[in-house]
Amino acid sequence: MFVLSFLARRLAQGAVIISLVSLLIFTLLRVVPGDPVRLMVGGMAPDSLVEKIAAEMGLRDPILVQFGRYAGHVVRGDLGHSFVRPANGAATGGANFDDTTRGERAAVADLIRDALPMTLQLAALALVFALAFSALVGIAAGLRPGGAADKIAFAVSSIFISLPNFWLAIVLALLFSVKLGWLPAIGYGGFSYTILPALVLAVELSPVLIRTLSGAVAAQMSESYVTVGRIRGLSETRIVVAHVLRNAAVPMLNLLGVQFSGLLGGVIIVEYILDYPGLGLLTINAVLQRDFPLIQGIAIVTSAIFVVINIVVDLAATIIDPRLEY
Amino acid sequence: MDEAPILSVRDLGVALAPAFGGRRLLDGISFDIAPREIVGVVGATGAGKTVLAKAVVNGLDRTLSASGTVRFRGRDILGLDPRAMRPLRRDIAYVGANPMGALDPTLPVGRQIAEKMRAVTPGVTEDAARRRVIALLEAVRIPSAARRFHDYPSQFSGGMMQRALLVDAMISDPALLVADNVTQPLDVTVAAQVIRLMRELTAQFQTAILFVSSSLPVAREAAARTLVIDAGRLVEEQPTDALVARPVHAYTRELVAQIPTIWTGVPAQPRSREAGAARRPIISLEDVSQTYRVRERGTFAGTGALRAVRNVTFDIAKGDSFAVVGESGCGKSTLMRLLSRLERPSAGRILCEGQDIARLSGGELLRFRRKLQLVLQDPFDSLPPRTAIGAMLEAPLRIHGWRDAARIRDKVRAVMNDVGLSPTLYDALPLGLSAGQRQRINVARAMVLDPEILLMDETLSALDQTEQFRLLALFDKLQSAHGLTYIFISHDLAMVRKACNRVAVMYLGEVVELADNGRLFFDPGHPYTRALLSAMPTLEERRYRPEDCLLDGEPPSPIDLPAGCAFRSRCPRAFAPCAGQSPALVTRGAGDFASCHHVPAPGAGLAQAAAMGSTGRIRRTNCGLPKGMPPPSRGASQVKGRATRGEGRR
Amino acid sequence: MGLDSLVALGPRPAEPEASRSVGRRILGRAARSGGFRIGLAILAVLALAAALYPDLSGIDPNKMDVRARLLPPLFGGAHWSLAHPLGTDQIGRDMLVRCLIGLRYSFLIGVASVALTLAIGCTLGMVAGYFGGRTDTVVMRITDAQLSIPMIILAIAVLGVSRPTIPAIILVLGLSNWPVYARVMRSVVMAERGREYVRAAQVSGASHARIVVRLLAPLLVPPLLFASVLDIARMMIFESTLGFLGLGVQPPTPTFGNIIADGRKYLLNAWWIATMPGLFLGLTLTGINLIGASCERARNAIHGGA
Repeated sequence: MFVLSFLARRLAQGAVIISLVSLLIFTLLRVVPGDPVRLMVGGMAPDSLVEKIAAEMGLRDPILVQFGRYAGHVVRGDLGHSFVRPANGAATGGANFDDTTRGERAAVADLIRDALPMTLQLAALALVFALAFSALVGIAAGLRPGGAADKIAFAVSSIFISLPNFWLAIVLALLFSVKLGWLPAIGYGGFSYTILPALVLAVELSPVLIRTLSGAVAAQMSESYVTVGRIRGLSETRIVVAHVLRNAAVPMLNLLGVQFSGLLGGVIIVEYILDYPGLGLLTINAVLQRDFPLIQGIAIVTSAIFVVINIVVDLAATIIDPRLEY
Repeated sequence: MDEAPILSVRDLGVALAPAFGGRRLLDGISFDIAPREIVGVVGATGAGKTVLAKAVVNGLDRTLSASGTVRFRGRDILGLDPRAMRPLRRDIAYVGANPMGALDPTLPVGRQIAEKMRAVTPGVTEDAARRRVIALLEAVRIPSAARRFHDYPSQFSGGMMQRALLVDAMISDPALLVADNVTQPLDVTVAAQVIRLMRELTAQFQTAILFVSSSLPVAREAAARTLVIDAGRLVEEQPTDALVARPVHAYTRELVAQIPTIWTGVPAQPRSREAGAARRPIISLEDVSQTYRVRERGTFAGTGALRAVRNVTFDIAKGDSFAVVGESGCGKSTLMRLLSRLERPSAGRILCEGQDIARLSGGELLRFRRKLQLVLQDPFDSLPPRTAIGAMLEAPLRIHGWRDAARIRDKVRAVMNDVGLSPTLYDALPLGLSAGQRQRINVARAMVLDPEILLMDETLSALDQTEQFRLLALFDKLQSAHGLTYIFISHDLAMVRKACNRVAVMYLGEVVELADNGRLFFDPGHPYTRALLSAMPTLEERRYRPEDCLLDGEPPSPIDLPAGCAFRSRCPRAFAPCAGQSPALVTRGAGDFASCHHVPAPGAGLAQAAAMGSTGRIRRTNCGLPKGMPPPSRGASQVKGRATRGEGRR
Repeated sequence: MGLDSLVALGPRPAEPEASRSVGRRILGRAARSGGFRIGLAILAVLALAAALYPDLSGIDPNKMDVRARLLPPLFGGAHWSLAHPLGTDQIGRDMLVRCLIGLRYSFLIGVASVALTLAIGCTLGMVAGYFGGRTDTVVMRITDAQLSIPMIILAIAVLGVSRPTIPAIILVLGLSNWPVYARVMRSVVMAERGREYVRAAQVSGASHARIVVRLLAPLLVPPLLFASVLDIARMMIFESTLGFLGLGVQPPTPTFGNIIADGRKYLLNAWWIATMPGLFLGLTLTGINLIGASCERARNAIHGGA
């Protein structure tokens, strides 16, 4: 019963967030200079044709009208069609500006459906790497503040956080792929292509995870239930494993929810540099090509993922710590 | 002592590790505890009691180093490493002063007690542990124990949690229990229950107890023999009764002398400053209620109504020292926020000299703020960090439009002088000042605006007895000099007895009794007032015994209260009408009121008299009356009404 | 993303007992740690070099010299030259000067955007936390929405069309991370709002504005400044990422991002072009992070007990 009402409330909040995001993106795309129709038809096309196509596509209506129309489609599950990409794959150039039949352009939903699993695979692997490493270093550091593990954790996270991801991606690709030939790096031709970008992302993620985890473990170790637990006769192992780590997991979970957009930002850059065919690459190309429907579609999907992840995270945190139930 | 002592402490000393300054916290402590004996340890805050308790269970922090011996059944356990100590945890149990922090907040209470049982008694199955925990939870009178087993620490009240921790301590049948200030965080009525429970349990389990407490009266309730600790040294050891009657050491004598008295030895009764006829209300509450909407757990948008203050009506006369007393959750803090207009009531009116304060705004509101000032509870929290004392006291003047720096400075200096703060403190930070000095700054900050009313929110509760005496004397002086009206919000009946002429007792948001000082303490009209008085920690012979006046349980939740009298779930005198209708405040004559169905309305009809008659059996219990008083004739009280009876008994 | 960890934990309220201001105590404690000193030394050297070397050496960062193109750094290969300690790029421009100029831009943009972030985040967080209720709900929904889209997308979208001038870059960066500050500030103010000295101020008649601006802000903002040190590093990364994508300060002005982007094409035969600015950036960030993290630890130690 509690879970149902919690879900209902959070989904309602999520709907608000998603609509805010899409309205924001929608407005922004239309306010900033740069006419997508001009890009579609190419620089050589006459202005009258640009205006004609724009009017046909409804791009000259007031923004709220456009948004209403768009939202109407989205609610029915239709994210629209790309301005630029044809259904068959290659991007349409300026040459075929007379081509206004929308049917031949790729559906945004399809483009996202193809790219999303790739990105999820990358993000999941990166999380696995980052969590495994951070747990190892962070817990050891938190149990003995000021000890050797703590110093190592401090040094490692200070260095990792100072490595720009795009630079690290280039250098690691040069090193592991070109020089040593251990790992494939550019493009995608199987699971092994995911490892290098995931490593880059893991390096970017782990400093915050390490610091949060070691801080949370250290804070829990100074809670009175730990001191009292020793006097009550619980073994140190039991106190740490069954109680301290359990409590320290809550800030970690919250962090994962908040870190989502940071992770996604990293994914976008790394995918672009290593030509990994996921959502990130799709996003950058869509932005550079002024592909409004695709950008909007991606924004809606990512904010929906954000909402879902945060609901899952909060639910998990509530299961661990029932006081969070609200 | 025929049997070998179970615990034998010799020359125990504890000091901070050299890296932390090496200060000695305990020195040369030696004592024995025989099997099944209860030994009390009393001393002021910071005397080293908790360090002693921790040392006895070998649970000192790593920052402390100990010397001497602590022999448990002849074996020195001081400095035993944790692994070697663990088998002994079964026999040496510990309960501390912070029940809410003692368990992992994210796991059910029952499961954690079972976890401890299995950790210290190998070979117990999970199922057997669970059954034993539930049986013991029932034994400490936790209602529906099987269900409570699965509840989390945050779902337990402080009193209930302390009982659960007693279960946790007793679950392995220990030979020694160290109880460190277990009643300190609890309300008096709940603390009295916990002490009673401890006595029962230890008799049943044949456990010896080291009962550490900062309150001599509390220790006296529990322990037959008591040690007194002052500044880390054992200064006196005597059977408790002898200790109270004939204290030897100077520190103990002072300690005994400072315990407040309620019924004996109170000098002049506090009176209103104004003559009888001139009494006019300066503050009037008319049917004031405050309801908060709280989110209901497990619903989509459901809210419950938390009725923090319910239909409160009373007048505070100019020159009064008016007290609002009650235990935690009774609504007195909400009432404080309403009176100081930090909040507006959801219903009813609060009038200050005829003006509804909820409607004030702008300049009128500032004028009201000048008239009524607040003095807060926590001497550390109530002063803004890193602000010089003078600047703190100047701020209110500047807010109220004072601009001339010289005049402001003169005014602040005058007020500092008034409350006994040295003028050299003007540019100082309140660092290193005692709690009492800090409270003087608090008083000064209020007085600087020349208010007519001072609202004291638990102002004295953080201070020790000596400081309390001094501040009460200061309040008295200020009242004479400035014609102040005081409103004390407090849980401390002893302080109220000394300082206030009129008292309102609150329970679950309602005023259940409103009376002058003498009447309230000698002839209370409401069973809750009597329960409070019975649970007061005092060394006097009690007029009301907790055994008679106090039933188990704690106040119900103020959210969506059931119909009927709110106190009936804990009232020893509850009878049929209490479930049906909430009793109204009725007059008991001479301006005193109580809201209980046992107090007949003036001129009550025969029906009510008949109803009262049917409860004769209950009324004959001791609790209706102070000890030693003959029961009044039932017929007389019915015919004449309670008011006359009360008057006649004085 | 240094600050994000604070969302979960939140700084604890200032202690009333502190004699010196909290900020100075934190600084004092942090200054005793090795990490802080190393960081400070790194930054001092870099700052001096960036301030003085380009002008003292008199080398024009945009001066092409085809004869000296693709020179390796000192001892880095066959034809190194003392005149170009870090070598030259594909059209013979001096790498050291270009990197130091890039450092100037990167650092200034980083600091300015963090200042903007702080201003927006603290203001909104204080308002939400102090007033609560509906104000709070509105502010928090906006922060949620902002947190749910990677700001890099918005930044690319905005800067990709309008010409990326320095103020535009600062604005975009400054708008990207304020929700984190808003959340932290909100939780601190909520905790502080219930304390007795705030109540005392209310009863003495102080207005909300006075309480927020005169009483709370001086107490609560300084600790956040320490956390924001780490954010300068984050913003510098963000700036160089934009530069790398061609959306930062435009060439010919050298920035870390656009040098790396150029050098990427010559990765196999002139590794130093892409690597040197990365090392410079990495060194700067390490310095900032060591200082920031030492401050954060000092702050936790001071608030956590002791």
